[in-house]
Amino acid sequence: MSERFAAAMGRKMVSRATAEELGELAHIVVDVEHRRIACLTAGKRRKALLVDWENVSGFGPDAVIVTDESALYAARDDRERAAVDGKLDLLGKRALSEMGDDLGPVTDVVFDAASGAVETLVLGDHEEPATSLLGAGSFAAIIRAPSRE
Amino acid sequence: MRSLVTGSSIRGLPVVTIADGEDVAEVRDVLYSPEAGRVVGLTLNKRGFLAGRRREVLPAETIHAIGRDAVMVDDESSLLLPADAPEEVGAPPSGRDVTGDEVLTDGGTSLGQVRDVVVLVGSNGEVVGYEIETASGGTGYIPLPVQLAVSGSALVVPEATKEFVEDDLVGLGAAVDEFRSTVGI
Repeated sequence: MSERFAAAMGRKMVSRATAEELGELAHIVVDVEHRRIACLTAGKRRKALLVDWENVSGFGPDAVIVTDESALYAARDDRERAAVDGKLDLLGKRALSEMGDDLGPVTDVVFDAASGAVETLVLGDHEEPATSLLGAGSFAAIIRAPSRE
Repeated sequence: MRSLVTGSSIRGLPVVTIADGEDVAEVRDVLYSPEAGRVVGLTLNKRGFLAGRRREVLPAETIHAIGRDAVMVDDESSLLLPADAPEEVGAPPSGRDVTGDEVLTDGGTSLGQVRDVVVLVGSNGEVVGYEIETASGGTGYIPLPVQLAVSGSALVVPEATKEFVEDDLVGLGAAVDEFRSTVGI
């Protein structure tokens, strides 16, 4: 079952163990090398917490189920702080081709809700397979250029 | 049809790593070698408002592509300290600026003065022409042969170049290949 980043933002995150609501989905961090979701973040600023994808037991249309509240943790290093601040977001990030041309922002990301595997990047009215994603950071997501000539 | 940019429009472009999508520097200046007929490297500034100069330079060999919106490198190790870079980039000789040089055809006609270099988009610094100020004060674009004579104050281009003075970069982009086949290079 495919899900989309844009539609998932703000979805409530609920503990499987206690059925308590833990917060709202704020950001999704992608492991670019493996083209899959690495972790999710809930809440904003000082209250922001992360949860690794391994501890997400269900990503459904109405809620994101996390194994247990103890799976949530506060940012421990610069990268995790960047994650909760949204600086690592693929969604909304400037897409650059590897040839240095601006392709506009990433408007959506399609992924497999069961595995967390990223399937497709949506750039406005254009789509790129996840395999075209070469790298992503705070400045841009780098998209493989179509082979020329 | 080739997509082209002037050297001055490369200045200020972010230098972005393909591996991790970071803007690690921005272009300070374009180092052009008239002898080589190409960009040999870029000097760099830091990113940000109070950005000063970055010591590292970017030799053409480590540039993945000069694009319209960014200069792409594989990763930050592409930026080299001047001592580790080729001499023409790490310690470029002064007085090699072609700006202001007169462009003469080998038939003895002056086409104007060089104002800027024209770089092929997507290359790592291939220069395909010059922006010139024509005798009438207008702007023209001329294609370059791969080899040409340069003296430091003038350069001599094939007579056929006269027929290929274009009004804009789009025109030059369309003319480069025809010009090159005409002058047989």
